[in-house]
Amino acid sequence: MLRLRSQLALMAVAIALGFLVVLQIRAQNGGSDLASRSPQELTVIVANLNTRNDQLRTEIAALEQEFGDLRTAQSRGQTSVEQVREDLSRILAWSGQLPVAGRGVQIRIDGPIHAGSIDDLLNELRNAGAEAIAISGIRDVPGVVVGGDPGALTIDGTPAGGSLEIDAIGDPGALGGTLTRTGGLVAQLGATEPGAAISVEPADRIVMPATKRALRPADAVPRL
Amino acid sequence: MSTLSGRLRALPSGHVTLGIALAALGFLVAAQLRSEGPRVRYTTQERSPLVETALELQRNQDALKSRILDLNKQIRDVQVSGQGNAAIVTQLNDELENARVAAGLVALEGPGLVLELNDSAVPVPSGATEADYIVTGQDIRTVVDALWQAGAEAMAVNGERVTAVTAIADIGGSILVNYAYLAPPYQVTAIGPKGLYERLTAVPSFAELVRTRADGFGISIGFAEPQKVVVPAYAGAVTLREARAEPTPTPASPGGSSSPGGP
Repeated sequence: MLRLRSQLALMAVAIALGFLVVLQIRAQNGGSDLASRSPQELTVIVANLNTRNDQLRTEIAALEQEFGDLRTAQSRGQTSVEQVREDLSRILAWSGQLPVAGRGVQIRIDGPIHAGSIDDLLNELRNAGAEAIAISGIRDVPGVVVGGDPGALTIDGTPAGGSLEIDAIGDPGALGGTLTRTGGLVAQLGATEPGAAISVEPADRIVMPATKRALRPADAVPRL
Repeated sequence: MSTLSGRLRALPSGHVTLGIALAALGFLVAAQLRSEGPRVRYTTQERSPLVETALELQRNQDALKSRILDLNKQIRDVQVSGQGNAAIVTQLNDELENARVAAGLVALEGPGLVLELNDSAVPVPSGATEADYIVTGQDIRTVVDALWQAGAEAMAVNGERVTAVTAIADIGGSILVNYAYLAPPYQVTAIGPKGLYERLTAVPSFAELVRTRADGFGISIGFAEPQKVVVPAYAGAVTLREARAEPTPTPASPGGSSSPGGP
């Protein structure tokens, strides 16, 4: 009788152990924290992933076209100067190494505001699809940081003055709509930054300069 | 020692096995509770298909990004192979390679550090806000900005290269960087000059992050300085729909800013 009870206890512990081992392995191997998301959050994630994957597919189609054109030109013995030049211009413009022009939105901020709030605005613009951004005439590229205290902000180390202007090139409807929607970032900043007046206006043509920063890393080498 | 082994021998083997199993059970229960952390786990049936869909979309995205990197390499190879045609193509190819490196379209390696942020392991006190105990996009942005200020030259977050158009956003309760939803722990890999970590700790915003988030809520912030770190290439769209390159600097547009500049 005692032996049977002991075996039953052992079996119960073994079952519990097995269950917990499986749970633990799943938790470790999930590679994602999706398990902790609510259905509402998961719906937003799925919608975003669909949109982003479509953007990647569009890029793949453009790259396949470019690759095909290059191969055709090469097979005909033609030089690919024009294609290379176009590629160069596109990459330089995209990365902030060339001045660019296009329609977009202009944001004006009068009054003291925290550097973190400007960072939020820049991040929101990038997330809404801004193709190029300049802050008070300084092109936003990796390494450009807004710092300092409200009223004495610096952009990439340069004093910003009393008012700030953020220019963003991209679809004006998408950029402006994201910022100014009900409960959007501009509304939030209206509550958290009472000393700052923020206006967002669409613009038909914005011109912004290239960066003055040296973007080619000095400490790194390309990994082949 | 001999007394202990003697006692163990004296115990029925079933009791020893049971004891070991119970110890393992206790360990796993503790590990499971710890892995729950401050994040809530939902068990509704409607969640499961959504998780599967999201995982499938993430797998698709990995394949799409891999295809982009592959095509970029093929295009580079064709462009380079055409360099015998004319001296100008050779020069253009050199410029193109420099532009790609500067734009973040080429994987880089060099000295630097890896900074890791993870959700708090501290039990959330009753009445406290659970979100405070979880790493946010704002935390990652603070680290990225502080690393730039410390002199970092190239960076990636969980393998996502930080470029001119990279957003680090909290969407759907998760952190989205470029095209990808990331899961903790978050590793910020930065290439930069020697002493990057010492410089980083001198940046006020980083010191503030440690004070408020690590000391305040138990957010884990660790770092490693391997001999060499690798920052992958950006795998995404380099497409301009609205912006057009301006070959020569132009005077100011309506309200817009413009000044001469160049790489």
